[in-house]
Amino acid sequence: MTNQEKLNADYEKEQLESRKNFSLKRLYGYALPHWKKFLFVILLIIITTGLTLVQPKLIQLLIDNQFPVLSDQTVSSAEQNLAVSATIKIALIYLGTLFFAFLTDYGQAYLLQATGQEILRKIRQNLYNHILHLPTSFFDHYPLGSLVTRVTNDTETLNEMFTSVLSNIIRNIFHLGGIIIIMFLLNYKLALLVLFLLPLIIFISIVFRKAIRKVYFAQRRVLALINTKLSENISGMRTIQIFDRKKQTEKEFNQVNQEYLDLSRKEVKYFSIYRPSIEVIQSLGIAALIWFGSKGNMQGLISFGVLYAFINYIQRFFRPIFELSETFNLIQSAVTSTSRIFHLLDEPIESVGGNLRISKYGLKGEIEFKNVWFAYNEGEWVLKDVSFKVEPGQFVAFVGATGAGKSTIMHLICRFYDVNRGQILIDGHDIKEYNISDLRRTIGVVQQDVFIYSGSIADNITLNRENVDYKAARKAASLVNADHFINKLPQRYREYVTERGSTLSAGQRQLLSFARTIAAQPSILVLDEATANIDTETELLIQDAIRNMARQRSMLAVAHRISTIADADNIIVLHQGRLAEQGTKDELLTKDGLFKVLYELQFSQIFK
Amino acid sequence: MKQYRTILPFIKQHKSRYFLGILALIFVDITHLLVPQVLRAFADWMQKGELNVERITFSALAVIILGLCVAIGRYGWRMNLFGTARKLEYWLRAKLFNKYLSLDDSFYNYHRTGDLMAHVTNDVLMVRNSMGGGIIMIIDSIFMTIFTVIMMIYTVGFKTALIALTALPFLTIFVFFVLKPMQLRSRRVQDSFSEMTNEVQENISGIHNIKAFGIEDNRSRSFSRVNQDYQRKNIDMMRLNVLFDPIVSLISGIALVVFIVYGVYRLLDGSMTLGDFVAIIDYLRLMVWPLIAIALVVNSFQRGIASMTRINEILAVKSRIVESTAPAEVDLSSVKIEFRDVSFRYNNKSPWVLKNISFVLENQKSIAILGRTGSGKSTVLQLLLRRYDVNSGQILLNDIDIRDLALTDLYRAIALVEQESFLFSRSIARNIAFSSSDDYDSVKVRRSAEFSQISQDIAAMPDGYDTWVGERGVTLSGGQKQRISLARAHYKDTKVLVMDDSLSAVDTNTEKSILKQLKKYQQSLILVSQRVSTVQAADQILVIEDGEITQRGDHVTLLQDTEGFYARLYQRQLLESELTKEINSIKQDNYLKEDNSSVY
Ligand SMILES: Nc1ncnc2c1ncn2[C@@H]1O[C@H](COP(=O)(O)OP(=O)(O)OP(=O)(O)O)[C@@H](O)[C@H]1O
Ligand SMILES: Nc1ncnc2c1ncn2[C@@H]1O[C@H](COP(=O)(O)OP(=O)(O)OP(=O)(O)O)[C@@H](O)[C@H]1O
Ligand SMILES: [Mg+2]
Ligand SMILES: [Mg+2]
Repeated sequence: MTNQEKLNADYEKEQLESRKNFSLKRLYGYALPHWKKFLFVILLIIITTGLTLVQPKLIQLLIDNQFPVLSDQTVSSAEQNLAVSATIKIALIYLGTLFFAFLTDYGQAYLLQATGQEILRKIRQNLYNHILHLPTSFFDHYPLGSLVTRVTNDTETLNEMFTSVLSNIIRNIFHLGGIIIIMFLLNYKLALLVLFLLPLIIFISIVFRKAIRKVYFAQRRVLALINTKLSENISGMRTIQIFDRKKQTEKEFNQVNQEYLDLSRKEVKYFSIYRPSIEVIQSLGIAALIWFGSKGNMQGLISFGVLYAFINYIQRFFRPIFELSETFNLIQSAVTSTSRIFHLLDEPIESVGGNLRISKYGLKGEIEFKNVWFAYNEGEWVLKDVSFKVEPGQFVAFVGATGAGKSTIMHLICRFYDVNRGQILIDGHDIKEYNISDLRRTIGVVQQDVFIYSGSIADNITLNRENVDYKAARKAASLVNADHFINKLPQRYREYVTERGSTLSAGQRQLLSFARTIAAQPSILVLDEATANIDTETELLIQDAIRNMARQRSMLAVAHRISTIADADNIIVLHQGRLAEQGTKDELLTKDGLFKVLYELQFSQIFK
Repeated sequence: MKQYRTILPFIKQHKSRYFLGILALIFVDITHLLVPQVLRAFADWMQKGELNVERITFSALAVIILGLCVAIGRYGWRMNLFGTARKLEYWLRAKLFNKYLSLDDSFYNYHRTGDLMAHVTNDVLMVRNSMGGGIIMIIDSIFMTIFTVIMMIYTVGFKTALIALTALPFLTIFVFFVLKPMQLRSRRVQDSFSEMTNEVQENISGIHNIKAFGIEDNRSRSFSRVNQDYQRKNIDMMRLNVLFDPIVSLISGIALVVFIVYGVYRLLDGSMTLGDFVAIIDYLRLMVWPLIAIALVVNSFQRGIASMTRINEILAVKSRIVESTAPAEVDLSSVKIEFRDVSFRYNNKSPWVLKNISFVLENQKSIAILGRTGSGKSTVLQLLLRRYDVNSGQILLNDIDIRDLALTDLYRAIALVEQESFLFSRSIARNIAFSSSDDYDSVKVRRSAEFSQISQDIAAMPDGYDTWVGERGVTLSGGQKQRISLARAHYKDTKVLVMDDSLSAVDTNTEKSILKQLKKYQQSLILVSQRVSTVQAADQILVIEDGEITQRGDHVTLLQDTEGFYARLYQRQLLESELTKEINSIKQDNYLKEDNSSVY
């Protein structure tokens, strides 16, 4: 078991333990706003149930009162005609109840489904919004497939909770109550005998519930694992194939698939035992009735009619119990999913920042790091006591070996993570004072990893932001020289690109992401190796364009190619998380330090 | 139902389980019908006052034994039928996943991850439901219907029974009418579910981007659209779905009324006895459940068909890369690669991406490819690894067309470091040893890490080589990711190493050390890069412009064409270095003890 798996297992265990029934209550919290509809549904269910109870009674009436008259050839025809019209009348009433029951039944089911779907939609939306607002660090460790499972598959399991569960419970409790009352009216001793079976059933149900809950929980976990594997392997399929690793991948997938099967089998097995065991109890109940009843009958205590009715009723008594037990399982399964959903909802979301808003004119662009210390994982310092200042409108470059912490600085400026010690000031205010959405919208980052949405090229540049229209998108694209390749595409700006942007070359993707950032005219531009995959010629063009544009804005850039940053106002050299030196290129070159080595390395070969 | 042909092999393989399950089910059904008989006999005895202890004991025991039989039988069919349905789910899932493993890039370029995930989870579930509960209801309802009909005919004769069964044709008509719409709506629900999965999968995988642009609200709205669509599609389906129960009750109820009216006259003329009449009414009530069951079966199979169709669509996709059935033997002790007049485009509509590309890479030589963004450099490498087949021309490995080679041989000969490194969520060691099976050689892993200059970074991590790499390598820096994927390629120990601009995120100093390492290993090398400094020492340099090789030769020859791409690039990069002319002596630096001699 690897660290991560252990971590996951612990997490799940903790989840299982900390889970109380609170989740069911919370779940019904979602139903509460719809109480009127539910009330109406309950009314409809009661009507339907009432009607379906009346129907056999009507038939009973016919059989007991009218039909004997009809089939009796000795009765006068006048009487028979009377009986015929009575029969027809009852038949018509029966027909009426049928139609009425049809309407109420359908209405009830439809309304319940529609309301249930509405609630589910709400839960899904809340969950998704919540995920969107979780802090960045959360996603460093939480598998993507698992999150997808929560939003899609887990909520799906809840469907039944609002649809079949409610109507089942009401209808069956109604039936059960009615039958119990009738039995008591008939003979309370026999009725008590039957009721003795209930504790037995409840006991079995509790034992079963304990067992099945574990299975359900494990099942949801493994399903998330399956989705995680799928998500990862499908995304990395090319790598798997190039490394000829299909066999092992298949084996790995099979492992979780098998695990799921084993759990499924367990589930089936538990159910295969549970339901029949209630059936056995039913038989025991009938046998006991026969035994004690007929003893009583022989002693003249119980009449034949009563006993016969009892034997009839005990079978009817068990039908709602079977149905209730099935409902009970639905609830179990829903509770499992609900608790997983609510646990995610309980994850604290990212802070929304302070209430300092940024006007649409943006910031001046002064940035100051004051003795910043930062670690992703406790104790592993990535940035150590970093201080520097960027004046408004300045172009500051960050260089340093890989892993030195350059991207980390960029992350901190956007407040993806909070600093552990020290302070970051923007325009003289602590970064925490700003509203976080405002802050991020005002700072434009071109990230090292490009992400492309499925959609058109134009959508990928505008991202449907209010402040970026199609025209701005085109302008940005031409600024970064992306229009060159876009215009060659068959559909140009309307060309559809997929998820990982696999139909574009890496450089083209980078250009696209560049255009996306430029389009919003950010006050501060942060470039994290934004041109690493772009050819020198294009890069120079972009640089010129940005220089023209960047007059009023501060620009921070990380680059390995010295050419990219040669004319920076300030170059900051990072070494193992510390600020090693800073100054303009010329200053640094005279200093004979780290930068000089980097610089010379890059040109020495050409230079020789 | 022809959609279900896909699972025929599974059914054949498990026919004994199905057989046993169905047998048990019928056994339960029959036993179920026996219980009332016992009770009736008991009631008769009691009514006639013929009860005695023996008969009471017999009745009670019979009930218990029958109950046990039902319980055992039910256990039997549940385990067999439901159990097999679960196995089917497993089987289908594995089948789909294997299909995914075999599909090529042209498939993945146009299919989205979330969609493919939904197939494996949700659609498979629908099929499972239809094959578990569905089969049971079929058997149940057929058995019960036949039994009831026989009993009816037996009690009241053929004609009367026929009248009593007026409900059946109406029900058939109803089922017939909802069949197609049900399937269609179900299909829409599944498609919409896919869409939703996709939306979630895609956006969460781009969460860093969303946060960077502060577009959470806008993404939430976008999700809200698919979410609403899914709700609507579901309600659309439910509107039909919840009709089944009430309508069956209605139709069978009407049939009852019809029968009552008919029965009245039969009673009047004395052609039917009261007993028969009551019996028929009982039977009609018995029929309601199987009728509902039939409707449910239809419903569940329509949903199953919708999902099965979706699954079949994936299973029917043919990988465009067809491996040769009789692959040529190839000796990989030395590898020579040749592109002969290769032209290529990604699809019929797109422009030509590569035009008449020819070059030869001899064993242990190096070749560098240079060119502007989108000129087709990566495409050359894709073709070499046969991710796509060429449209014309040939790619030869040791003079054998790569289309005649086993893919495994091809991959054994060539290791590729992709332009965008994809790492998996597992330990660093396992990422590096990705090409090995379960056990890896930790010495070799270390050597590969040293080769790609990542060993120091790894040593600095608390868990060292066991450090867990987050999905897609989120917890690593850009350069660390690239170097791990370089180490991964190196671990493969191939004759040819292909690097697709894969040092772009690595600083110059580290890059230099890596290039130096490269020289030590007797590998052929294909290098794509944007930096003259990286490529200049290659034996051969190719410049690709718009899919054509416009320049080739080594550094010195290429520089002679002063108007050419290479010379211009050189000039441009030199321009900056001219600034360094004022630096006369290059001193050793105090931080990084590296010598600065040329790499090659
Ligand atoms: N799967 C694909 N389907 C259709 N077109 C594609 C596909 N992959 C790449 N292209 C197009 O083919 C051209 C060449 O792409 P390629 O990836 O080979 O470029 P490249 O030279 O590697 O560029 P870069 O330096 O940016 O990596 C580009 O115009 C690109 O848009
Ligand atoms: N999300 C994360 N969780 C844990 N550690 C991280 C995370 N991101 C980065 N690190 C670690 O922090 C250190 C600094 O990473 P950073 O990405 O800032 O480097 P960098 O200077 O940008 O390097 P490169 O030039 O390779 O991109 C690295 O050792 C890296 O492994
Ligand atoms: Mg970085
Ligand atoms: Mg490329």
